[in-house]
Amino acid sequence: MDIRGILLANSEQNVAENQALGAPLATLDVAGKSTLQRMAERLQQYGISSVSAVVEAAPSSGVRNFGLPSDVTCVSAAPDRFWRTAESVFNDMAQSGAELVVLIRLGAYAEVDFEKQVQFHIDRKERVTRMASDEQMLEIFCISASRRNDAASLFRTQLAHCRSECPVLQHDGYVNPLATTRDLRQFAIDILTRQAQTCAAGKEIKPGVWSAPGALIEKGARVLAPAFVGSLARIRSGAVITRCSSVERHAEVDCGTVVENSTVLPFSYVGAGLDLAHSIAGMGSIVNLHRDVTVTIADRKLIGSTSVAAGKRFLTSAAEAVTYLPKLAFQGIFAVNRAQKPDLQTTLRKTTPALGTAAGFETSACDTETSHKFPNMVVARRYGHQ
Amino acid sequence: MDINSRPVVVKRMPERLNARTAREFLRDVRPFLAADRPQVVFDLSLVAQIDASGVEMLLKCMSEAHKRDGDVKLASLSDQAAVVLELTRTERLFEIYETSTEAARSFSGFLPNAMRQQLLHNKRSTPLAA
Repeated sequence: MDIRGILLANSEQNVAENQALGAPLATLDVAGKSTLQRMAERLQQYGISSVSAVVEAAPSSGVRNFGLPSDVTCVSAAPDRFWRTAESVFNDMAQSGAELVVLIRLGAYAEVDFEKQVQFHIDRKERVTRMASDEQMLEIFCISASRRNDAASLFRTQLAHCRSECPVLQHDGYVNPLATTRDLRQFAIDILTRQAQTCAAGKEIKPGVWSAPGALIEKGARVLAPAFVGSLARIRSGAVITRCSSVERHAEVDCGTVVENSTVLPFSYVGAGLDLAHSIAGMGSIVNLHRDVTVTIADRKLIGSTSVAAGKRFLTSAAEAVTYLPKLAFQGIFAVNRAQKPDLQTTLRKTTPALGTAAGFETSACDTETSHKFPNMVVARRYGHQ
Repeated sequence: MDINSRPVVVKRMPERLNARTAREFLRDVRPFLAADRPQVVFDLSLVAQIDASGVEMLLKCMSEAHKRDGDVKLASLSDQAAVVLELTRTERLFEIYETSTEAARSFSGFLPNAMRQQLLHNKRSTPLAA
């Protein structure tokens, strides 16, 4: 039987959330892979090898494949053309001989048993069947490809109504609604704590710590389980990554910064000596989940971004390498006295160097006298202990 | 109880606190900080954007006040200001109050309930995995 899959990722459901992060949540990396990638791989695991993804993207953003496997066709569509594009992808599949199409809108990430779903569809002999989890209807459909009118009515109502009866199959596995940034953060936690079947995209370098190829954890940095460091991400000396934090690909966490229960989005820079807690940082903003607020950070010394273009990143690194020795020589000649290399304890207690002349204020992490008597207690109590 | 008759200066901070506005603000408050044992409250309710130079200015004001045996307290922090202060590890260097009135009153005596909101926030259990 010819079964194919269509994945839809757009931002109508969560406009405010997407404005904060600048992209549909389904296309943002969580522990190394986007939900879109994870769902495409899951479909392929169930033998649905022909998969197309329709992703909402501004026309200026160019052609991207959002990290999808090479055999997944990716179609970008402008927001106003999104549903028409999805419908035409479905029609193309039907014309080219598909018998059954599994349609998934992300939306929610659900670890669906597609074999069970297809079997349910065949047994019920219906045109369209749907999945639900508890009381929540999931936007996961199985459509007989010959029933183009039913499919068309689904697409034209943005999956709200089906013109024929639509039996529902109950799903009892893992579901994350992925409707808000809080869900995105929870998804990272669920992956790192193995609540979900899907796992972090990297090698487990020590129990509970995953590192993707090319990740650089400098000497003196601490990564405490569970945590994830994405490919070509950089954790500078003195930084602490802890409590289900995820630093995605090409991100950089500068010296002495503590990332606690947070996600650093791809191509983001988190400045030196900061405390990033219960947040999602990147794209020039911080979504603070404790306060439920999104703050735009204009100061690139605090939260910045690295270029998505590999060429620009290469030029920046080359410039850094070329200026490294002259900078050292300059410091050697003109610096009054060479600063002693701070230890982790000291770094964690000081304010960020981004504050210029006010940098280095002592801000005792554990503001009791005990912290002086037992200096090691500070890290042990606040950031866990290995 | 210490009855304090010295004046408390309450200053409302501008909406955008960048290098330029921070410099201007510092120039405005400097005379107050130069007084003997200055008592200053900064109201941050309007602050919508604050960068490193804004935080640096707050720390400068605090250290100038400390030099003269005074203090700077913060009140009515907007969410934006609170997030940046937390991020830069500076929120624990200041006494923070819910309103300017409470901050001003706190110079005359300890108000056990005034900082309740802040304490509640600090103690609030993490909704996500700890």
